[in-house]
Amino acid sequence: MSGTMCSSNSVVQTQKLVDQLRLEASMERIRISLTAADLIQYCKDHRRSDPLLTGIAASSNPFKDKKTCTLL
Amino acid sequence: MACQGLQKGETLASLKTESDGLKKKLEVERGKLNDVELHQVAEKTEVLGALSIKTRRVLKGHGAKVLCMDWCKDKRRLVSSSQVRTSTDLWTREHGVSLPCTWVMACAYAPSGCAVACGGLDNKCSVIPLSLDKDENLAAKKKSVAMHTNYVSGCTFTNSDMQMLTSSGDGTCALWDVESGQLLQSFHGHTADVLSLDLAPSETGNTFVSGGCDRKANVWDMRSGQNIQSFESHESDINCVKYYPSGDAFASASDDATCRFYDLRADREVAVYQKDSIVFGASTVDFSLSGRLLFAGYNDYTINAWDVLKGNRVSILFGHENRVSRVKLSPDGTAICSASWDNTLRIWA
Repeated sequence: MSGTMCSSNSVVQTQKLVDQLRLEASMERIRISLTAADLIQYCKDHRRSDPLLTGIAASSNPFKDKKTCTLL
Repeated sequence: MACQGLQKGETLASLKTESDGLKKKLEVERGKLNDVELHQVAEKTEVLGALSIKTRRVLKGHGAKVLCMDWCKDKRRLVSSSQVRTSTDLWTREHGVSLPCTWVMACAYAPSGCAVACGGLDNKCSVIPLSLDKDENLAAKKKSVAMHTNYVSGCTFTNSDMQMLTSSGDGTCALWDVESGQLLQSFHGHTADVLSLDLAPSETGNTFVSGGCDRKANVWDMRSGQNIQSFESHESDINCVKYYPSGDAFASASDDATCRFYDLRADREVAVYQKDSIVFGASTVDFSLSGRLLFAGYNDYTINAWDVLKGNRVSILFGHENRVSRVKLSPDGTAICSASWDNTLRIWA
């Protein structure tokens, strides 16, 4: 009795796995040479607006302390 | 009885054969697209110069390990948790209020900046409205939204204050209506604790990615609850997942001491960020604004900045005196905040 119960659960689980795999297998994939080019293009397009990459001046960065000049 | 057993046995066997066949087919299909490596395509991209990033602020005040933090959209306030502390205003250097939330492993600012969500070992995720009145009884206003059957590891508001996504040690993720506490959708598929989740950038639609102790990173359709893509290449628990800013890829951090980069349209891993000298687990990742840099926090107390495209490490950020539990880019990309088991938060810029 418990044998059939176990195998019913296994069947249900494996059926779910098969359904999931079928879904994943049916996906339309694109070659890396194309997708990578797009990822790189995104970096290029946004490069100038990336403060951590370009490093922005202390005067415009709220976290960098402004240096003050004192006249001696 | 014996006949039924035999039928089920046959069905099981044929299903197993089919699943094995499909797994092999997936490998083959993904392999076909591996016509070139990411770093090869990136050969012509300019090399990054040295970064001038260092600690600009150290926030003390937590009496315990800081496990999580999030930025407010106003770019100056943070919420951080061990005990939940909020409205730590970085510009005026005012430390904020402690919120009534204990055992917190995950915290998030609401998009409006008017509330904070926090959850953890109480198996719940609660929302606390913020008040300018410091004397206000926030404990009374705290509202339970999510209920899991194990700890809450991650939480995020969706595009408004009205809905919240959570990940849990119970192996599931869930979408909740904040007002009613109603479960709108649950996401089943992970076979062990889910440790992290991240929402796709709003332009790319209603998906999110999750990662967990089953070493898998899964991409989900928020409306249908369907697991649409799955990636299994890490050799140990995935502690953190984060989308690339364009939404076409995501990165993961794992106990296997590597971070990896997955291209969603090619449906495969396209980069591994690792070094022989890095032997401690990576707990957290976040991208810089352009997606060119990946900041990763490790259990060896450091933060490494990786060139996402070329695959090499660009910088090491030293400073924390214990494990780094979270790194997060500020909303305008000018700074990174890191949270650590050394009881502090650091702002790097």
